[in-house]
Amino acid sequence: MESELQLIGTEEKDILQEIMNIAFGNAAAELAQVINIFVVLSVPYIRVLMARELPEYIKSEVTGCDSVSIVEQDFWGDFQGNALLVFQSGAGRELAFMLNGDDGIFEPGVTDRFESEILMEVGNILIGACVGKLAELLGDVIQYSPPKVLIENHANDALPQNFFDASCSAIILKTMFRFNDKDIGGFLFLVASHESIGWLKGALAKFMAQYDE
Amino acid sequence: MRISKILIVDDSPISRRMIKSSMPKESGYEFFEAGDGLQGLEMFQEVRPQVTFMDLTMPVMDGITSVQEIMKLDETASVVVLTADIQAKMIMDAYQAGAFLVLKKPPTKESIQDALNKVEERES
Repeated sequence: MESELQLIGTEEKDILQEIMNIAFGNAAAELAQVINIFVVLSVPYIRVLMARELPEYIKSEVTGCDSVSIVEQDFWGDFQGNALLVFQSGAGRELAFMLNGDDGIFEPGVTDRFESEILMEVGNILIGACVGKLAELLGDVIQYSPPKVLIENHANDALPQNFFDASCSAIILKTMFRFNDKDIGGFLFLVASHESIGWLKGALAKFMAQYDE
Repeated sequence: MRISKILIVDDSPISRRMIKSSMPKESGYEFFEAGDGLQGLEMFQEVRPQVTFMDLTMPVMDGITSVQEIMKLDETASVVVLTADIQAKMIMDAYQAGAFLVLKKPPTKESIQDALNKVEERES
């Protein structure tokens, strides 16, 4: 099993946790506004791993469901890397039906396409607003690639072992979220380069300095 | 009424520090801190602060429940909800629970000062 990486200290982790909490709350509000659904958030938690340990970590966290859907988006600024929003099995279908209304009946084949589109849209909003707010609070400006979506891949090989640069670090924001009354859960992962971690440590110190004056 | 006792309820020690640091300097406030909604409720009962700053997403007891329980103890209590979850429904739920004000995280010196002024105006 993966081990916690000591790239950032306990206090830095606490600061990052609070900033990610603010960022994800902001993202949830944006999503609620755009597609009119209420997002119930759980207490988030942060951990830092080597990126190569991420596939194994995802597998261990999604026990009980065979497959996952992943929305992936690259971002770059002083803080750069990939954001991955991992939805548990069935999330795309649930969201597709929820947003299509109670009488939503899809033609065969339409569900898959709509599911993919809705996951991409939800992922794009959540990742964009979350990473955007994180960057704003830390004084960075971020650009994004278009999102990519991987639908219902088996949890065991959702992410190939060589998907990331082995030297990258993965910052895991684990927060369970529910849409309206549906238990559609997921995790957000940010995979950052070592150079970004160096920048991040400085930015976290600067962020807190405004409160310690 | 002059504010002398302030209770801060938040599971994040960093967030509690940010809120305290945003308070006006040399104000002579006495601060009390709790790490979840239940601890906050117990501390409210014990110290009877003039203002309580309350987070919403917390373990053990969430902020909405804690505000509701505080209002049962003292319906005139001034609870200022300070939250990252700024969805319209959450803000409405906080007011329905009895919150006096809802502020968006992160706190700023201005937003905290403004909240304290409003509490003092309300009490005078």
